Amino acid sequence: MFWFQVERLLNYWPLLLKGLGMTVSLSLISLLIGGVIGLLFGIIRAGRIRWLSFVVGLYIDLFRGTPFLVQVFICFFILPSVGIELSAFSAGVLALSNLSACFIGEIVASGIKAVPRGQSEAALSSGFRHWQQLRLIILPQALRIVRPSLVGQFILLVKDSSVISAIGIMDLTRSGWMIVQNIPNGLLIFGVVGVGYFIICYPMIFLARRMERRNQSSLL
Amino acid sequence: MIRFQGLNKWFGNALHVLKDIDLDVAKGEVVVVCGPSGSGKSTLIRCVNGLEPFQKGSLTVDGVDLGAKGVALRDLRMEVGFVFQQFNLYPHKTALENVTLAPIHVRGLSKTEAVERGEALLAKVGLADRMNNYPSQLSGGQQQRVAIARSLCMQPKIMLFDEPTSALDPEMITEVLDVMVSLAKEGMTMMVVTHEMGFARKVAHRVVFMDQGAIVESGEPASFFGNPTHDRTRDFLSKVLHH
Repeated sequence: MFWFQVERLLNYWPLLLKGLGMTVSLSLISLLIGGVIGLLFGIIRAGRIRWLSFVVGLYIDLFRGTPFLVQVFICFFILPSVGIELSAFSAGVLALSNLSACFIGEIVASGIKAVPRGQSEAALSSGFRHWQQLRLIILPQALRIVRPSLVGQFILLVKDSSVISAIGIMDLTRSGWMIVQNIPNGLLIFGVVGVGYFIICYPMIFLARRMERRNQSSLL
Repeated sequence: MIRFQGLNKWFGNALHVLKDIDLDVAKGEVVVVCGPSGSGKSTLIRCVNGLEPFQKGSLTVDGVDLGAKGVALRDLRMEVGFVFQQFNLYPHKTALENVTLAPIHVRGLSKTEAVERGEALLAKVGLADRMNNYPSQLSGGQQQRVAIARSLCMQPKIMLFDEPTSALDPEMITEVLDVMVSLAKEGMTMMVVTHEMGFARKVAHRVVFMDQGAIVESGEPASFFGNPTHDRTRDFLSKVLHH
């Protein structure tokens, strides 16, 4: 029975691969957009413009404090009612980039605050403009400090992307759902799906651990 | 070149850290500021390049009134070098990059020009063979010499030193002081907060003694060390000179 199911599963190989591809592209696009916006959020959060920092902080907390599935539903079902029509894919990318921007924003802000004050004083004393200070002196150090946490966030992003299958995107999780309707062995199918996610995530876990170790040794 | 007139500074409402400071530093003059810790000498020197604001009185540096609204601090800071107690080198840049970063991005020098200038300065402070090392690969004394070269590479008119040797092991103090002595002899205008009285005796034109936020006494090294007039100065000197 089991080997028969495995044999049938092999027929669905292309579907699983397509799902994997969808998960990767969804994650990658959201990572790029979320990364850029998150960087901006972090700079504002750690910045000197009080009210702007407060507003962005509130926005970040709002999305950190609500379930991701709810956010996805809002993007896909509620936004059309106010005239913003999105395809499932765009809605997914929107929700996922927005969430990762919020988390990345907090991480980047903590990194900027962790750079010793003497660094910005030295930069100030040399006459650097504010954005030059950030770009040349503060951000390179801040990003180095938070690199392991950022990679950790990327891993979460890949895994969170599975929630988006709820609005009908044919990602890895959803392709699992499709197959399990024809091959009634959830353990086997979702075991394979799980392995798919692990294959994407494990190199990143490995990378994060190496960075962590290097960060520790560079502090000596 | 630098003129304090009745300058007062408070931290918050209660802490009066600088009291009625009057001080003139002429072009090419080397002024050493000393005093017990917490006397306000670091705060005083940090006012000169606008790192600390002040509330009352006036301070003019190189013709720029720092009390004025909308003062172009950035332009002033390009002309005023600042050397920190903790060096504050950029850890992600090599010694040479530390030195050339501001000349390239602030002064707008071409990279070749800046590198040429930076290499010459690093050689001058005795670090010709260390240019491509990162700060973490350098000793404290070497780091501080890079920091001095970094400031000099902007070709400033004034150099400020905030306890430049206090964070150094004793055997490294001389190498940093030697650089500062040669700089003083070249005629650089300098304000130096330090406890190195040997340096003060050797190159200072004037020594200023501060206590509890006020200037207690100032004079030429000979008279300052020879016959200090105030008890507090005598007390301080007996502590830093005899051990």
